[in-house]
Amino acid sequence: MIASSPTSPAERNQLSGSSAEQRLTYRPNVDVATCDDILVLIADIPGSSASAIDVQVEDGVLSIDAAVPARSLPGTAVRREYGIGGYQRSFQIGADFDASQTAATYRNGVLTIRVPRLAAEQPRTIPITAG
Amino acid sequence: MSLIPFRTKRSLGMEPASFSTSSLTDFRNEMNRLFEGFFNRPSVAPGWFETIEPGRWLPTIDMAESDETIRVRADLPGIDPNDVDVSVSEDRLVISGEKKTEAESVGNGWTHRESHSGGFSRAIPLPEAVDPSKVAAHYDKGVLTVNLTKSPTSASRKVPVITAS
Repeated sequence: MIASSPTSPAERNQLSGSSAEQRLTYRPNVDVATCDDILVLIADIPGSSASAIDVQVEDGVLSIDAAVPARSLPGTAVRREYGIGGYQRSFQIGADFDASQTAATYRNGVLTIRVPRLAAEQPRTIPITAG
Repeated sequence: MSLIPFRTKRSLGMEPASFSTSSLTDFRNEMNRLFEGFFNRPSVAPGWFETIEPGRWLPTIDMAESDETIRVRADLPGIDPNDVDVSVSEDRLVISGEKKTEAESVGNGWTHRESHSGGFSRAIPLPEAVDPSKVAAHYDKGVLTVNLTKSPTSASRKVPVITAS
């Protein structure tokens, strides 16, 4: 039901980037949980902020686009394991969820998105009248 | 009369030996992990002396130095700052702790799991000795920043050259 965007599973995989600015786009690690009435996505996005994260649900696709400000340490670099750039990822969640009720929180570098499932239609009892 | 060893399909390689599959998979996973860990670290000083325990995850770090300070930054998303332990010896910084998964708060309906959880420990060799009493650590938005002050005694150590007379 939920399919991730077709990207390589490699952690912190570089998706795109301009060599001039060395701004890269990373693929965040995401935990996905589905309960009876809710879909929860938990994404590791360290160093961003609530105002710099964009979450959209459109046509059954939930997309995360997070900007991370350039954060070079002052001084001479001794060790550099991560580059400058943001995080992007999208998931096909289908039409079973109520996009208008999507809620997202950002705390300690973790983005948590909750999408409630659409209320199931109640079975209708059709009265039968005797002819 | 010579004895011909009885050969099963398994011993001829026609069927995968189920008892060895798991250990082979473990071995392959371990090799993949080591290769990924090695090649994904474009560090200036390779981490030959870092301690890596199998099955544990390591936070990504950056390190920079100026004349008097060394700054180290580590990605620790989703970790309670109270669960992070920063310790410093003269030339080694150790960042360790435990990441608790948020799975418990949601329930047991997990369908897909990518984030790291459990204990971690990363020992980072420092380019110069530091003063263990002057260390400041700050955690914000999943990023830990440690500021270390270089030890004045190690800033420049003059080595006298003795001439044979």
